[in-house]
Amino acid sequence: MLLEIIDIAVHYGKAEVLRDLSLHVAEGEIVTIIGANGAGKSTTLRAISGLKSVSAGEIKFNGKRISGLKSHEIVRLGISHVPEGRRILAPLSVMENLEIGAYLRKSKKEADSGFQNIFDHFPILRERKNQIAGSLSGGEQQMLAIARALLNQPRLMMMDEPSMGLSPLVVEQVGMIIKEINGRGISIILVEQNARMALNLAQRAYVLEAGRCVLEGEAGAMVDDERIKHAYLGG
Amino acid sequence: MKLLNSSTVSRNSRLKLGAIIVALAVLIILPLCIESDYIKHLLIMVCIGTILGMTFSMLYSAGLITLGAAAFYAVGAYTSTMLVTSLGLSFWAALPLTIIISAVLSLGFGAIFVRNAGVAFVIITLIFVQVIVIAAGQIEFLGGWGGIMNIPRPDSLGPVEFVSKRDCYYLILAILLLIVVIYNAIYSSRIGRAWRAIKLSPNLAGTLGINAYRYRLLAFVIGSTTAALAGCFYAHYFQNITPGAFAGWLSIYVQLYAVLGGLEFYILGPAIGSVIMTFVPEYLRVVKEIEPIITGLLLLIIILFFPGGILGTIKNPPDFNLTQLKSRLNRMRISKAQGDKS
Repeated sequence: MLLEIIDIAVHYGKAEVLRDLSLHVAEGEIVTIIGANGAGKSTTLRAISGLKSVSAGEIKFNGKRISGLKSHEIVRLGISHVPEGRRILAPLSVMENLEIGAYLRKSKKEADSGFQNIFDHFPILRERKNQIAGSLSGGEQQMLAIARALLNQPRLMMMDEPSMGLSPLVVEQVGMIIKEINGRGISIILVEQNARMALNLAQRAYVLEAGRCVLEGEAGAMVDDERIKHAYLGG
Repeated sequence: MKLLNSSTVSRNSRLKLGAIIVALAVLIILPLCIESDYIKHLLIMVCIGTILGMTFSMLYSAGLITLGAAAFYAVGAYTSTMLVTSLGLSFWAALPLTIIISAVLSLGFGAIFVRNAGVAFVIITLIFVQVIVIAAGQIEFLGGWGGIMNIPRPDSLGPVEFVSKRDCYYLILAILLLIVVIYNAIYSSRIGRAWRAIKLSPNLAGTLGINAYRYRLLAFVIGSTTAALAGCFYAHYFQNITPGAFAGWLSIYVQLYAVLGGLEFYILGPAIGSVIMTFVPEYLRVVKEIEPIITGLLLLIIILFFPGGILGTIKNPPDFNLTQLKSRLNRMRISKAQGDKS
């Protein structure tokens, strides 16, 4: 098992936002976490990447305990987190964003080959490399954030609401990018409010409600589940 | 398109190079054209102010705001003075020793201070500089509140004797230029990039593998050691030091240099701020007692109307309209109200 979360709890102050949450991701899998606003989806990712510490339970990556490590240590192990909201360094150029993303690459040569790889997959970023990142369109910014996370050569990539604020066409593009990344053998955790897109991409899904997992199973089966349809797919 | 791009880039860099050469020539020739020792003294103080302002900006570049920029300036001045007066070392031996001692001290203190970035760091640095001043005043061995007098000038280097203001100016100019070169290299290196990421978003930096604590500590150590170097020069140039010279206002002034010149310009900003804040009050013949009032007012005006400072305002001229100002004032009021609650 690549990632194993065992009965974790997370608190913000006294408020318990995650309780008894267990979740696992196998090698090469796309897993989605869906749920309403405030259900604890982002918090789950933040707990995995070490931005938020867990108050109970443990998180294992590759069989090794990672809960308690700092975020900069966890990314070294091969977990990249594309956080929600402002995910790019807006005042810096596209290239500078990528250079910061290549921070963990040992040598300049290694970094350059990483950039080359990125530019081959995202030609638009090569075109815009000297542009200020904040001036990119929403979809391009999302691509930049994903590309930057890829520079760390992750084995597991966590994406928080990659479709947020994007037009339907761009959402479809992002979906294709996610599939392609997964095709390279990188496991993915996808957190989405756009449950339809997430369930179409993922193999398995977890449904969170008020900090607890209320349902888990095959993503394909969930699309047809009456309860899911009613609560998250709008009808 | 591409051709045009590369030619404008090279023209820009040529312009930049030309500007640097002209500026260097002016800085070198300047003391030869000036008769007055007093103005030479002011030029020396401009150089010191620029160095201190640059240390403030370095911490700012890593997302840390210090109100104690003068703390290690004092540490450097006292360390070097004690090494020379008590141990009888030459200035040139005391200088590297001061740097090493300050680096070790700032690493020790910084390791604790930097743990709390944000408001806690601001308050800690503010208290720290007061503690240093009080400690210097209370310890007899360090001269007490009366300070230390008759500190020797830097020992002569061959024919250069560092007796005249001109020679002292060239010494501090050389130190300043060396620091500018080093800082410039750091800002364009991987360290500078990591600082920028941390300043923009510490969490994001963390998820990209950057250890924010370690990089902030690095900024603290480099900035503090630089300030100590300036303090070392100051003590031997001024030839007497008192705890009062390093008290609260100095750190505020240093901050003002950086803010006035332009916070986002880590080298040129403090230089411009320091020139203005040194010469303008002199020529306005401002009474010393009301200077803090004017300084405080100036700081307020800059923050309200020109948050980018002089360079930032030139680069992106603000379009003045009252609604914008009103909303800015409103935001300040809201954040203050929130601050009061918590």
